[in-house]
Amino acid sequence: MDFALNDIQQMLKDSAGKFIHNDYDFETRQKYSHSELGYSEDNWQLFAELGWLALPFAEEFGGLDGNATDLMVLMTELGKGLIVEPYLSTVVLAGNAIQRGGTAEQKEALIGGIVGGELKLAFAGLEAQSATDISSINTQASTAGSGLVLNGKKQVVLHAQSADKLVVAARSHNNNGNIALYLVDANAEGVAAHHYPTNDGARASDLTFTNVAAELLGDSDDAAAVIQAVLNDAIVAVSAEAVGVMDKMLAATVEYTKVRKQFDVPISTFQILQHNMVDMFMECEQARSMLYYAAITIGGGNSEEQVAEANKASQFLKWKVGQAARLVGQTAVQLHGGMGVTDELDVGHMFKRLTMINTLFGSMDIHLDNLVKQRQAA
Amino acid sequence: MKVLVTVKRVIDYNVKIRVKPDGSDVDLTNVKMAVNPFCEIAVEEAVRMKEKGIASEIVVVSVGASEAQEQLRTALALGADRAILVETTANTESLNVAKLLAKVVEQEQPSLVIMGKQAIDSDNNQTGQMLAALCDMPQATFASEVSVTDNSVAVTREIDGGLQTLSLRLPAIVTTDLRLNEPRYASLPNIMKAKRKPLATVTPDDLGVTLSAHTQLLGVNPPPQRSAGVKVKSVAELVDKLKNEAKVI
Repeated sequence: MDFALNDIQQMLKDSAGKFIHNDYDFETRQKYSHSELGYSEDNWQLFAELGWLALPFAEEFGGLDGNATDLMVLMTELGKGLIVEPYLSTVVLAGNAIQRGGTAEQKEALIGGIVGGELKLAFAGLEAQSATDISSINTQASTAGSGLVLNGKKQVVLHAQSADKLVVAARSHNNNGNIALYLVDANAEGVAAHHYPTNDGARASDLTFTNVAAELLGDSDDAAAVIQAVLNDAIVAVSAEAVGVMDKMLAATVEYTKVRKQFDVPISTFQILQHNMVDMFMECEQARSMLYYAAITIGGGNSEEQVAEANKASQFLKWKVGQAARLVGQTAVQLHGGMGVTDELDVGHMFKRLTMINTLFGSMDIHLDNLVKQRQAA
Repeated sequence: MKVLVTVKRVIDYNVKIRVKPDGSDVDLTNVKMAVNPFCEIAVEEAVRMKEKGIASEIVVVSVGASEAQEQLRTALALGADRAILVETTANTESLNVAKLLAKVVEQEQPSLVIMGKQAIDSDNNQTGQMLAALCDMPQATFASEVSVTDNSVAVTREIDGGLQTLSLRLPAIVTTDLRLNEPRYASLPNIMKAKRKPLATVTPDDLGVTLSAHTQLLGVNPPPQRSAGVKVKSVAELVDKLKNEAKVI
């Protein structure tokens, strides 16, 4: 099979790679991360100008009709810069949920704002008891007069601090136990937020909803399939980001071992360290191969079999990337020695991001467990 | 006004150059290639002229193997309107390239030709000057500011110890220095549009140019490895070493 990128993907890769190289070095990233906003609004507007915010959306709503592979290409490059802009939460999670589950009117009203960089969103799914299982939620929608309201608590909502609107997963207002998606104004009355930085330099929030006015996303109060599809796309996106991070960690480690001397020779000449770096390389390549497989499979189609295959592919991917990220991250830190965990060097921050990615949308252990159970049940 | 911009395919400036083991040339195996940074500045300047309504059409030209189409597509994604590749795998030394470009200029009749002042691979800084001579056009090299009026172009040049401003009648040739502008990133919509923009391929034979070798590459050597430093015990020792060993003071 030919896994070469097409011309457009190659130019997207070059353009994004150049942005990261020229304008998003580690010190600049740290400055954005420590700012009040937690990211650069100028960069966000640049993302809009460059069309990155439009990538996965349908052309009729101002998007560029990109697929999972296109998103993979972009996210791999952005991963190399450890970007802190709310791309994942706005475009891949909440925006994608609107695209997949929203009515034509909702898409018309919201996607243009996302594409233009005026509207930022966050996806509120998990709760304290959920761990990583989005089916385990208690937030409840109910009718109030002619409208709907939400009550409940959400945890670790990525980039809720900068969001204008929230896409919230909650039990249906029809009291049938379904999980539906609701649109909420982030600043609506009844929304209480506790914002905090995450250990990888991004931002997250714990949210409490008390009789918050909400709007059902789409026509159906059963959003299970939409949520699963969004999570599959998100797993490809963060896995691509992880592959970008791992590529950079491997390159930084190889370079460092060529410079760092011990016993008057570069430590890269020690065979045991060469073996370590070969292991890192193999894990990077295996993660990349699984990423390609998942990105292609997820874009396969909407039949029952294709959806089942996509779900399985995303689980395999998350497991493999989690495994690779742990080995690559730990080995990079080991080979850098103490400085590998200092605040001044990017290696430790890359390891933190990889660790965070492993916890997002189900850890490698959870996905492996699910795969084993599915195999046993078959 | 039609603007013609030249684009060269070179090793990406972030890549660490490797020399072939026999020292015969630079090793290009699996090396990332890109648009020469000075050529990218030239494209950006032309695109800005078009955005201001000064330029009506931007034609980008490259001389080289078919792979140079990638760099022409990048230039199209940055805002050029159409591209011409003079396809050849033969010797692309400066004079040969200048002769080929002179024929393209003759055919296209641009009002302004913008080129990079030099390519970062061979650092010759010759093609622009040679093209000006072959086309009998006025030239301004090392441009840090370009301003077009009706029939002339004012160019501020970076020269040793200061700036020089020239006025050239059009058509003219301008070569860009690093500080002329900061090239933009190719946006995704423009990348997609670039795929549909016309890219013509011609050969030296089509242009009636016979390429001949005027120079011969004898060898390539990497820069010497930096040797380790030493610690000195006193300022006096440092001064002594700078004076008598390094001979810099």
